[in-house]
Amino acid sequence: MSVLLTRRPFLSGRFGERLSRSLEYLRFKARSQNAIAAHNYVSAVISEQQKYAIYREMFPKEWERSTASFYTRGYYQKYSERINELFHMVNKKCFPLLEYWYDDPDNELDNFAIGPMNIGLCCEEIDFESIHISYAAAVVFYYPDDAWDFLNYRFQVSADDFPAINSSPHPNVWERDGNLLGHLLRLIDHSTGNPWLDNSCCQPADWFQFDRETIEDLSKEYNDALAAYEKLKPLDELIEADPRKMLSALIDFWNTGKLADDLRLILTKVEDLNDKE
Amino acid sequence: MNGESPLEILTRETEQINPAILLAEEFMRRDAADLLSAEEIKRADEILRIGEMEIEMLQRHLAAFVRLPASPSVRIPTGF
Repeated sequence: MSVLLTRRPFLSGRFGERLSRSLEYLRFKARSQNAIAAHNYVSAVISEQQKYAIYREMFPKEWERSTASFYTRGYYQKYSERINELFHMVNKKCFPLLEYWYDDPDNELDNFAIGPMNIGLCCEEIDFESIHISYAAAVVFYYPDDAWDFLNYRFQVSADDFPAINSSPHPNVWERDGNLLGHLLRLIDHSTGNPWLDNSCCQPADWFQFDRETIEDLSKEYNDALAAYEKLKPLDELIEADPRKMLSALIDFWNTGKLADDLRLILTKVEDLNDKE
Repeated sequence: MNGESPLEILTRETEQINPAILLAEEFMRRDAADLLSAEEIKRADEILRIGEMEIEMLQRHLAAFVRLPASPSVRIPTGF
């Protein structure tokens, strides 16, 4: 039996909702209720109720205004229209939840994966034109041929103009002393501690449970990830202004773990300005 | 096993409905817009746990029955 409630005006509103509820009840009664089916049904109800509670607590105004049905199935068919609305709310206001899921109505979102916001260096073709120039510059440590080709095209510099690059970085580059070059290298190395930045399409996805705490944590980390890229802007400007100086500094930092004093001062200043903004 | 047959053990067991079935009926009758309280969710989780244990126990018993060797009945059912 199928009834398209949303497309018939006389079946909308309170009457439509009651009809949907009645149909749901009839479907329930018509099924053979063995213990396993009942167990699955109760689990599903609890799961839905927990999502309604998340909706009401996180978006109280939208919850009050919402007319989405508790019974009619939404685009993601395992869930009611009201829960579908919650998914879209999280997608719009918190982080891109539906990135991986948008095209399959059969998908379940009780556990979900997030789309990486960083480049999978080992399996993705890097579009140098579309990434931060500082990120592109630091790719010389991982994929030197492609990166130098780009830097040569962009700034007319080549590997021969700079000191040799060590095969592995100095351990000090990973120290979290707040300097921008360290931040850049951690970003490229996928070792920021932020799931949006450390996940990549080259590795199995991490799975997250759809609960309030996880949504709030992922929202914060999503904003942090956006800020991490925003933080590269001053570095981009410094590279654009003096590519040779900044590339030398970057390679020195990789090789020795040290920053020249004048550069440390400049980076600190731009970071302070960044923080104030 | 004190010499009892599986049928005797079965017939001696108390008859009861899995609590998940009763809770499913109860949930179906309530309005989804009335959100469950923390206590109600706790109670439902407990019922789910009991219901799951019962399902697992029955599945174990069923598997044990399937493994039992066939034995001739003392009575021949009508029609045979």
